[in-house]
Amino acid sequence: MPDKIISREGLLHIAKLARINLLPAEEEKLLHDLQDILNHFEELNELDTSKVVPVNGGTYLKNIFREDSYPLGSRQGAGKNQFPKEQGGFLKVPPVFKKSEDKA
Amino acid sequence: MTISEFNKGLRNKEFSASEAVKKLYQKIKSEDPTIGAFLTLLPDLAIAQAQKIDSVIAKGENLPPLAGVPLAVKDIILIEGQACTAASKILEHYTASYDATVIKKLKEQEVIFVGKTNLDEFAMGSSTENSALQITRNPHDLERVPGGSSGGSAAAVAAGFALGALGSDTGGSIRQPAAFCGVVGLKPTYGAVSRYGLMAMASSLDQIGPFANSVEDASLLFQAIRGEDKFDSTSTPADDGQDLIAPDFSALKNMTLGIPSEYFESGMENNMAKAMEQVKEQLQDLGVKFVPVSLPHTKYSLSTYYIIQPAEVSANLARYDGVRYEGVMPAEYLPNDLQELYFESRGKGLGAEVKRRIILGTFVLSSGYHDAYYKKAQQVRALIVKDFEDAFQKADVIFAPVTPHTAFKIGEKSNDPLSMYLEDAYTLPVNIAGLPGLSIPARVKSDMPIGFQLIGKRFREADILGLGQLYEKEIPPPSL
Repeated sequence: MPDKIISREGLLHIAKLARINLLPAEEEKLLHDLQDILNHFEELNELDTSKVVPVNGGTYLKNIFREDSYPLGSRQGAGKNQFPKEQGGFLKVPPVFKKSEDKA
Repeated sequence: MTISEFNKGLRNKEFSASEAVKKLYQKIKSEDPTIGAFLTLLPDLAIAQAQKIDSVIAKGENLPPLAGVPLAVKDIILIEGQACTAASKILEHYTASYDATVIKKLKEQEVIFVGKTNLDEFAMGSSTENSALQITRNPHDLERVPGGSSGGSAAAVAAGFALGALGSDTGGSIRQPAAFCGVVGLKPTYGAVSRYGLMAMASSLDQIGPFANSVEDASLLFQAIRGEDKFDSTSTPADDGQDLIAPDFSALKNMTLGIPSEYFESGMENNMAKAMEQVKEQLQDLGVKFVPVSLPHTKYSLSTYYIIQPAEVSANLARYDGVRYEGVMPAEYLPNDLQELYFESRGKGLGAEVKRRIILGTFVLSSGYHDAYYKKAQQVRALIVKDFEDAFQKADVIFAPVTPHTAFKIGEKSNDPLSMYLEDAYTLPVNIAGLPGLSIPARVKSDMPIGFQLIGKRFREADILGLGQLYEKEIPPPSL
């Protein structure tokens, strides 16, 4: 059983991909928990699955199409009031690029 | 009281819907502060709906069988215009902008929605302790958890705050709390009930289902919510050849139940094993036959599930970015850029278990690890599906426990995620295979409620609900 599957650097990289800020205490606990959980997953290597077709999704249904139709509903814009900030009919978010990058 | 008794009382004018609602809220106001089943109560909606029903009855017009039935709804299913938090800080101020399909269908049945119930944050957990908003206690013992993730819904029905409830089950989140709280819980076949308006957690596993006081009530609720929906492409048309409400009991007595040896070998506490033996004898007395079956890949279910489920979680929960669904950061917070807002909002707004699963899911999907974990798990999933297909060659229905023991104490497992994950060992293979599973209170003497599980073939809810109704009709509840 490998004793270390995920390193601290690895965890921080994954947290960055997941867009989550971690506090130092959270980092410690997560490193420990993930190591436990990933070690448990090692049991799957007991199984030879080289000839098994993976199951994708939970259903046997395939290619669910419907006729194109308009309108499906009149709910467009219903989620707009869930945005905290709005200006002149536009949804307001912080700048995508940092101010310093703007100047560069 | 059951739904049919309520319906009869209403039609015979033994009580009005308004009186019933008023009494119910008095009970909730005095008892729920101790139990903590509800996150939001909907008295305005409920009273208006009750008055509408009373005026229809006064005119002597007909009503659907679920009319006026007070129901609780897990706070991860949307009701238009009402708060829906998923018990998460990141959605604490969110108001739903549309009705889930199950809500729309139940509104057509003229039910009364009493309130929204507590859950483990985003339905991740087995005790409802992961709720970021409050603790829910088991009505049978306030020191113990109600189970989870639909713990609030199970507790609401067990405490008599509602005649039924909706929950969602991704790895056992309906059946396990039903067993812990001594009520009936049904996880329908994957695709039997539309998930439109259920906040997506793990899309290849999630399913909505009912809680109730009896299997007949669960059947009534399932009948009302099932069927194809153009807004959920995984939903399938209801098989109307199945009689859910008035089953053919003599045919059901000829059924063969499979006993999977892997479920009974180890892991169960003594009182649970003894109760399963008693239930088996009760069912045999009714004429049902038992045959041994084997589900050889059962031991790999936990690892399979905890790879696939977090992987899907990490994708589905990317939408909670702190911009949509109302923000989580204070108004005076001014980030330098958009990414900083995402990182801060998710860091502050998501709880420990949710972060753990997002990180785990991101890891198993990440470059270099995808084949070793995610693809491997999908392959083992195929083996688990095949196990059940083979077992159903020999048996009509599979008999199993729901939980390895009765409800545990609050705080007992909350710091050890792996031991919490092991709680679902008997329920999550059913989700992996997309099958229907029914948790029924065992009619045996016990200090805390014990549930047993009937697992059916795909879309054969009629088999397990029919057998459950047979059990409740013929086996008397234990005398206290």
